Amino acid sequence: MSDHLSPSAFPTEPRRHRLPPGVRARVTRVLLALLAFVLIAPLVPYAAMYAERGNVPNPGTALWNEVRQRTGPIDADTQVRGVESPVLINQVGERWQQFRSDMLVPAGAWLLLGTLAFLALFRILRGRIPLEGGRSGELVPRFSVNQRVVHWFAAILFVFLAVTGLILLYGRFVLIPLLGPEGFSATAAAAKEGHNLFGPIFPFAVLALMVLFLRGNAFNWVDVKWFFKAGGLLKGHPASSGYYNGGQKSWFWMVVLFGIAISVSGLILDFGVFGQGREVMAWAHVVHGGVAVVFIAASLGHIYIGTIGMEGAFESMSHGYVDANWAREHHDLWLAEMQAAGMVGVEPNALEEVKRHDNIDFKGFGAPGRKAAEG
Amino acid sequence: MFLEFVEGPLWYFSVVVFVVGVLWRLWDVFRQPSRTDLALARGSGVPGAVRTVVTRSWTAKGFSRGATFHLVAGYMFHIGLFVLLIFAAPHVKFIEERILGFGWTPAPHWVFMVASDLAFAGLLLLWLRRLMHPVMRKISTFDDHAAAILTFVVMLTGCLALLKSHDSLRAIHMLTVCLLMIYFPFSRLMHAFTFPISRAYTGAAMARKGVNA
Repeated sequence: MSDHLSPSAFPTEPRRHRLPPGVRARVTRVLLALLAFVLIAPLVPYAAMYAERGNVPNPGTALWNEVRQRTGPIDADTQVRGVESPVLINQVGERWQQFRSDMLVPAGAWLLLGTLAFLALFRILRGRIPLEGGRSGELVPRFSVNQRVVHWFAAILFVFLAVTGLILLYGRFVLIPLLGPEGFSATAAAAKEGHNLFGPIFPFAVLALMVLFLRGNAFNWVDVKWFFKAGGLLKGHPASSGYYNGGQKSWFWMVVLFGIAISVSGLILDFGVFGQGREVMAWAHVVHGGVAVVFIAASLGHIYIGTIGMEGAFESMSHGYVDANWAREHHDLWLAEMQAAGMVGVEPNALEEVKRHDNIDFKGFGAPGRKAAEG
Repeated sequence: MFLEFVEGPLWYFSVVVFVVGVLWRLWDVFRQPSRTDLALARGSGVPGAVRTVVTRSWTAKGFSRGATFHLVAGYMFHIGLFVLLIFAAPHVKFIEERILGFGWTPAPHWVFMVASDLAFAGLLLLWLRRLMHPVMRKISTFDDHAAAILTFVVMLTGCLALLKSHDSLRAIHMLTVCLLMIYFPFSRLMHAFTFPISRAYTGAAMARKGVNA
């Protein structure tokens, strides 16, 4: 049992190789190289793929590029018939949403608050602009019945649309803390319906404003001088002007241009049944929102100066007559024309007003033409 | 809770006031003694009554220029209001479920929009003209302004509740409707019922005199 464990069981002589040591070493190196090749060779394509992985198209990527239309409109079809019905995810909508939340909302808020702050500062520094000469008691006819009806018609629509529009734009930030989510939800739903319903009337109001107020609103050198004198708003620096001053003319053209822009874009948004796609709608929304915010900011100045900012201004639109001293201080060139036409110091006469209303109203009677001078 | 109140007890109270009040006002009109016409009638009063009811729907010759605004805005408002009242989908449903027990095909949404825009624009223009026109301003009373404003508010609250998403909006609309129905018989809104009577009376009287009124 112990024989095979005896030292004689192990070879005591060194083993003899048939290859010389030098050859054997080379063979060994070749064999090792072959082994390495066999092991590494299958990995080469993977390594190559790894090295060039940016150039290998991922089928999933292509699919999502198609879905998101990154390379342009897709050539897809569906059983659903409708505008852009093959589109699953609309890139334009995302861009519009980003514009709305990142640009329109904050910039609009700064603009509106800035305008209010400016008006408050102006009020503090300048106060209410008074009639320096007091009231003369002499009246001058300024705006006709139709002009005033159309002005207030447009004004009521504008204020309603502005308030409902601002609720839709800023209600989330302002009204939720005040009314709670449920209260805001009801208010926003009402605002949306009201805005969409009253919106289509506004273009007609703008058109009527254009027709009734166009005469006398062309700019001239008097307006340039008026602007250089800051419209006479600074104390002790009166500025001459005709029937309309530079500021009023600017506001008129702003109403026309902004009114057209906001009306066209609003109708595109309100009546989405004429084949306009998301891109057109998004652009219409950008124009509508952007113009509306600027329009509202500008209107704050108009409303301020026409009501509490200037003594004697409001009555021109409420009763159609102004005091002669108001005309002298703010529209001196027009007053001179009216004096020449014998229309200063007239008594408010209902019959006379009706006559004007029925006969020359559509031409206005603020700037005395031949008829007024004859009358 | 509030919606249940305005659509329940307040609604029934308003209907009773409206119906009884309108009947009482009409009875009051018919019971007024008419002046006896001692002259020999030159013809029957009936054709004149019918003709005047129709012809007073537009302005007489010679008055058209001054009355164009009133005519156009008046028809805008009244036609728009009629379509809203009778053919707006929520009204058709309400009439079917709460009043008559049957309904009819409501107007499509675009018709609703056009009608409501006409009604709002017409009423607003008429009311502003009442405020701005020197003669209209002088002959207008509190009743004229109250009726115009109340009608406007009813239309406005109805349109704001159009989404039917919130009971509170519906309740506000129903509340204003109830107020209007209670106010109606005691105001100039009664002209909705009395205008044919007034026209027919004038037309018949003139026809008996041989005058084409």
